[in-house]
Amino acid sequence: MEEITLEKLKAMFSLAAKVVAENEAYLCKLDAACGDGDHGVAIKGAICAANDAIQAAADLKGGMFDAGFAAMSHSNGSTSSIYGSLLMGVADGIKDGSQSLNAQELASAFKAGLDSMRATVKGEVGDKTVFDALIPAIEAMQGAGSVLEALQNAAAAAKQGAQNTAKLQAKFGRARNLGEKSIGTLDPGAISNSMIFEAFLTASKE
Amino acid sequence: MVMKKFINAPENLTAELLEGMCKAYSKKIALSDGKLVVRAKPKPQEKVAIITLGGAGHEPALSGFVGEGMLDASVVGDIFAAPNAVAVLGAMRKLKREAGILLVVLNHAGDVMSSNMAMKMAEREGIKFKSVLVAEDISAGLSAPKSDRRGLAGCIPLIKVAGAAAEEGKSLEEVAAIAEKFNSRIATLAVAMTGCTHPQNGSPISELADDEMEIGMGQHGEGGGGRSKILSADETAKIMFENLAKAIELKRGEKVFVMINGTGASTPMELLIVYRAVAKLAEEMGVELVNGVVDEILTVQEMAGFQMILCALDDQSEKYIFAKSNAPYWTSLGE
Repeated sequence: MEEITLEKLKAMFSLAAKVVAENEAYLCKLDAACGDGDHGVAIKGAICAANDAIQAAADLKGGMFDAGFAAMSHSNGSTSSIYGSLLMGVADGIKDGSQSLNAQELASAFKAGLDSMRATVKGEVGDKTVFDALIPAIEAMQGAGSVLEALQNAAAAAKQGAQNTAKLQAKFGRARNLGEKSIGTLDPGAISNSMIFEAFLTASKE
Repeated sequence: MVMKKFINAPENLTAELLEGMCKAYSKKIALSDGKLVVRAKPKPQEKVAIITLGGAGHEPALSGFVGEGMLDASVVGDIFAAPNAVAVLGAMRKLKREAGILLVVLNHAGDVMSSNMAMKMAEREGIKFKSVLVAEDISAGLSAPKSDRRGLAGCIPLIKVAGAAAEEGKSLEEVAAIAEKFNSRIATLAVAMTGCTHPQNGSPISELADDEMEIGMGQHGEGGGGRSKILSADETAKIMFENLAKAIELKRGEKVFVMINGTGASTPMELLIVYRAVAKLAEEMGVELVNGVVDEILTVQEMAGFQMILCALDDQSEKYIFAKSNAPYWTSLGE
């Protein structure tokens, strides 16, 4: 695989939606430890709506924007704002009329997504949130020599970041109020994000 | 475990409860665009509109307080989940007016993100608005920064005061200033004796041992850390009242409004006994307890417990608290 085409992107989102939907109950269970047990519902709503938009898309940039808008409109809670602003920001980072993305274009588009999200949503690595997977994943994409390498790096970094959340104390959302009691549990937002990057990698290889 | 709740399909809870509420009080409120609750008779355009947003599962709040003298619209998300930014923007577009909109935001991560994004978009569209962030929960400690404090049921008296000011024809700047002044002296603490179940997935939230209670538990059952053995109504009220009075720097001779908000499973009997304790504490402290509200205002499913809300009043906010409102779940306190 040299570059990410619209067709490839459709396969990537399709698998991500499938994997997240299959793990809905598991993600809710993780969330119930510190939050209110609905993360699986929220992320499934967001990624499935994003996938529906991508499947109907005619081009990469427009498809990514529609995916972001759909994720925001068809979901609730923090997840809607996080994935909505991320994907719409990724769209902003894609050139008009772009037919495919090479490694560098993919990395810079995701970097634009991250910047857009951080303009609305505050958070850092170490806060025990989705950022623990997402920030390292997008950073690991930068400078990759190929699309495959970028996605491999992203999936590995997201996975590592998500696993690290077990050691952390929550600083945001409802989990924050648990303080030290939140240590020892995985953050569901980071785990679902890692699942998405893993699915992107798997689908890109097929 | 089987959930003992009278529900249908879990994914339809929010839509069905809103439909029920708007049908029950159809002369006062109506459902618009899915999950937006508005007044049945819209407020005249020349007056400031008040909008709030929040998750469902806390009924009657927030939508039950849409009505003359209180909210113009309540943007509803899903069970315990904030509405998305698109929905919030939709409400702001619908109520767009020269007089402006006051957006009341409760400090929860999801609500803040959605309202920030919506406000950014609204600004681009030239919608006139101001916002007020309610973050009156003191369970994180008296020294905790505002960003670490959650918005609990103290939003309701604030909406009452801002709503009455708007109804009176005050400008957006004035309504916002009145709301901020009131906001600077509200404090809330919650106490829970049992956790609750998430009504969509049945998962238990924050379990407490049979002989335990927790002061500081939030409105989704998230823990606050102050666990102890069960105390009496008087003992519990004393701990809470003293901390709250300190938080709002309540001084002898001042007026205070107190709301005892039942979170679901505690009976009116218990809530009234708590209010009685508060009345005695206020008297001992030498503050004037104007009337209060003892009711289920913002619930947390079947959680046993309550939130105690203290608001310092001045002459203006006292008048607005007592002003008439026809919101379905507000009991007017005036004569």
